[in-house]
Amino acid sequence: MNSQMIAEVIYDGFLAAIAAVGFAVISNPSREAVLVSALLAAIAHSLRFFLIKSGFDISIATFVASSMIGLLSILFAKIIHCPAEVFSFPSLLPMIPGLFAYRTILGLIKFMQNTNVLKSQGYMIDFVHNGLTTLFILLALVIGVSLPVLIFPRYSFKVTRKY
Amino acid sequence: MEIDLEQKSPSIEQVSDLLAEIACQLMTSGAHTMRIIQNISRMAKTFGYEINISVFQMSIMMTIAEYSNPTNRLTIVKKTKPLLLNFTHVSELSTLSWDTYDKRLNYQEIQSRFHEIVTRKRMAPLLVLFLVSLANASFCGLFKGDFPSMGLVFGATLIGFFVRQQMINRRINHLVIFTTSAFTASLIAGLGYIFQWGGTPQIALATSVLYLIPGVPLINSILDIIEGHILTGIARLVNASTLIVCIAIGLFLAMLILGLEKL
Repeated sequence: MNSQMIAEVIYDGFLAAIAAVGFAVISNPSREAVLVSALLAAIAHSLRFFLIKSGFDISIATFVASSMIGLLSILFAKIIHCPAEVFSFPSLLPMIPGLFAYRTILGLIKFMQNTNVLKSQGYMIDFVHNGLTTLFILLALVIGVSLPVLIFPRYSFKVTRKY
Repeated sequence: MEIDLEQKSPSIEQVSDLLAEIACQLMTSGAHTMRIIQNISRMAKTFGYEINISVFQMSIMMTIAEYSNPTNRLTIVKKTKPLLLNFTHVSELSTLSWDTYDKRLNYQEIQSRFHEIVTRKRMAPLLVLFLVSLANASFCGLFKGDFPSMGLVFGATLIGFFVRQQMINRRINHLVIFTTSAFTASLIAGLGYIFQWGGTPQIALATSVLYLIPGVPLINSILDIIEGHILTGIARLVNASTLIVCIAIGLFLAMLILGLEKL
């Protein structure tokens, strides 16, 4: 890992933090939750960037990153007394496969419009590839973030309790 | 003295109305099904009632029965309002449900705190507009867009999200809102393609509509499916997919007008 790589990873984390803040405020969370989600997004997204750069597949990298968010969010939920999803969901938002999602639909539109068999085969492949990528990344995100809840259910639901 | 006693033990109708209202508020604010069921059951237990609840996209059904006297029971159905994400509500109502359980809050206290929570003001729209635009611009950076592209995406999002906010205020159909907003943003970002601003105009166009992607409903839907609330999960998934189709249509229209073939 050379210095240029480190700089790229930090730049990625920085941008992800800004993105998380912006996408978080749409759902109107409290101020502490916004800050925590920015921190978690920076950690997770730069981790994912690093893993992809080191040759991992995007869905596996996403799974590792979102498990990281899941574990850390239980810790932060204990500290600021609010349900984990209030800041873990916004920190997942920069990793949501939005680009793949609407490329799936665009592929479908192109497939429908095209009459050339060879070309439309290409669009069909695009459609299936983008659609499956969307699905697998989403599954990786959600299973990863709810892993702590699935493993320690009793503990996870009590973190918002103050007494 | 008697009036005082009556105030302390609310009737089954009052309790069920309050709980149904809280459940609908949680659904509107974007809580997942498991959280709604747990919060509501916890509060019902404090009042000495057992609750069975089923949560759907459009309505919430619950049967509430007294522990000490199971013949005293009531079933109500309440329509939910359209989704308007508000995580402050989710977090505060969750805290309220634990406080109810731990501090044994009475009916009046819960009701006043609930009203205080739901009437709290949202973040200033202009600040949200600015932060969302900044977020989408940095999103463009995450996809390796260069600085001119990021600036272009900032401008596109600023106008696209402003259009969305204005249309939401005028209570226009949400599918129309998503299509129009995506169309506006991608039309502006597409100008970069036409005039060749910066080295990565295709990334600017592709990321200009990403602020619209319904991330929280998508996450909620998968979470519901994992936790066994499959019907609600699928309903949320279909809802989110419909919005994504609208985004794609808006983008497609803009590309058609600008004469762009590839993305």
